[in-house]
Amino acid sequence: MSYCVNCGVELDDTAAVCPLCQTPVCNPSCPVDLESPKPFPVERSEVPPVSRVAVALLLSSMFLSVALVCGLLNLFLRTEHAWSLYVIGAAAMLWVWVVPPLLARQLSLLVRLLLDVTAIAVYIYLIALDLNGMDWYWGLALPVILLGGACVLVLSILLDEGRRSILSSVTLIIGTGGIFSVGVEYFIDQFLNHQWQPAWSLVVLAICVALIIPLIVVRRVPYLREEVRRRFHM
Amino acid sequence: MKREKKKGVWYRLDNAGVLYTALQKEEYSSIYRFSAVMDQKVDPEALQRAVDRTMPRFPGFGVRVRRGMFWYYLEPNDAPGPFVKRDIANPCQPVRFREDNGWLVRFYYYERRISLEVFHALSDGAGALVFLRTLLAVYLRELGYEIPQGEGILNVDEPPRREELEDGYARWAGKKVLRSGPAPTAFPNTGTAEPFYTFNITMGFVPLDQLKDKAKRYGVSITEYLTGVLLKVIADNQAQKHPAHPRPVALAVPINLRPWFPSETLRNFILTVRPSIDPSLGEYTFEEILSQVRHYMRLHINRLEMRAMLTGNVKFQTNPLLQVIPLVLKNPVMALGYRMAGVRPYSGTYTNPGAFQVPPEMASHIEHMEVILGQATVPRVHCASISFGNTMEITFAGTLKETDTERAFFRFLVKDGLHVKVTSNRQGKPVEGG
Repeated sequence: MSYCVNCGVELDDTAAVCPLCQTPVCNPSCPVDLESPKPFPVERSEVPPVSRVAVALLLSSMFLSVALVCGLLNLFLRTEHAWSLYVIGAAAMLWVWVVPPLLARQLSLLVRLLLDVTAIAVYIYLIALDLNGMDWYWGLALPVILLGGACVLVLSILLDEGRRSILSSVTLIIGTGGIFSVGVEYFIDQFLNHQWQPAWSLVVLAICVALIIPLIVVRRVPYLREEVRRRFHM
Repeated sequence: MKREKKKGVWYRLDNAGVLYTALQKEEYSSIYRFSAVMDQKVDPEALQRAVDRTMPRFPGFGVRVRRGMFWYYLEPNDAPGPFVKRDIANPCQPVRFREDNGWLVRFYYYERRISLEVFHALSDGAGALVFLRTLLAVYLRELGYEIPQGEGILNVDEPPRREELEDGYARWAGKKVLRSGPAPTAFPNTGTAEPFYTFNITMGFVPLDQLKDKAKRYGVSITEYLTGVLLKVIADNQAQKHPAHPRPVALAVPINLRPWFPSETLRNFILTVRPSIDPSLGEYTFEEILSQVRHYMRLHINRLEMRAMLTGNVKFQTNPLLQVIPLVLKNPVMALGYRMAGVRPYSGTYTNPGAFQVPPEMASHIEHMEVILGQATVPRVHCASISFGNTMEITFAGTLKETDTERAFFRFLVKDGLHVKVTSNRQGKPVEGG
């Protein structure tokens, strides 16, 4: 048996430190017993969080009730136009965004993004149908949606890879924003003029680059990094 | 075992139960745990059979909390369970009324340890120990040992008796209420809270004969001696950390009312007293603290004063104004009241349910007993002790990172000449330089 040299209490044979003062046990004639079970279990248990199914049910009922109420209202209010379909479509889109990830925890990022992007694309398609705007849908809206989806996918993969610091994450987000703006202008130009004449997006990109360079410098220089951490409580 | 659903049966919460249900939240646990460390590894299947046989005999434990318009109430729980579970590192977790099938008692096993956790609204320590004693007897019988009836073990083949379910407070409440002003705010003895759901336990084991001799030498009882040590180390802690404006140091010490008011109830029947010292008057010697504790206990723990105190509590519960406030409003009011009257005037809690008595046929199978109180409303440690055979077990449990109180407490006992063995669930990493 070992005793704590500071506290004078006898310690359990499996204790590597004194639980009262954290002094390490160093007893050559009685080394710490690493084989026997510890006096207390080591597996923690946490009170289970609110059931995801219940939350999914709650959200579904909220979206459904909004959709139903608007559908019914449409029967009496401005009946010449099916305005409620916009609300119903938005509710359906939000449902696809929120509820499937709650129900299927193991849903892969790619599947989730695919679902989300499809939901947006379908919603905008329905609007385009209502407004007779298939040309802008195929020429502009869909490419921008797909580009946005691709940007989010790449960004998520990059952010997901290992533990990114806040500085690196911000750098990546700003960079993606810049590239996205260039892409948006490209599609707008192609749709309107059938040729690419980069203008405003280059300004956005330049601002993004101007933000990114100091961030990278701060990230690389340990002294600056510590200073920023201290100032911003990161 | 098949359980019949008794339609329309419900129980009114007793005076303490009303408070504990109203206070229940994620950051506070009015769950306490008694554990028996056996002489051999626990057989979970035999334990589950013992639980299934014992639960119907104790209807006061086989209940769930229901929410009424004005009050919570209890009703028999006919859900499957309660099931014996493998023990966890952070016990006494706050109860959630809608989870775990509504069960308010839990059973755990780990190596040689059998643990019973009880929501305080159901029963106090004395009631829970009758339940645990009976459960252990049934468990040992399941293993094939001959354990006699009696000596505090209830016969599980007999139907439950009405007296065991009585509300002792309501029965013994008189007319005269004890009027006293609000107790002064005490030194809170708090520290840094651990992340959510971390629960640190430190247990100290002291030979009972040594402790008895020591207390006798000071002319006090064991409870008074340990209360005195705790007051002393908390006062020293205050003198070290906040020497400028010393506040009173006070403990909440629950007192079992059964010896004064004959009752066979297995539900709550306790009151707390408040032994205290006031370091603003100057530094107390240990002997002076013991004298203060001893005289306070002898002066205030008497039949008439305690009756007037419990009458006041019952009158508060039956106050017509409080009766008509809906539950949603009542809970915050009671929580605030508890904070003012049940938390602020105290620096900590110390409870000693005394010796765990069992027939000799059972005693040889039990190595020692343990007790743990759940987390307090503020990050500070609760102290509890229980003795069995020649071992007094003293637990400090809470959500505090620091070990100041328990370290000073056990060092004091060692300096006072007692042998202390310490175990803990803290996953400590050695600090550089010790």
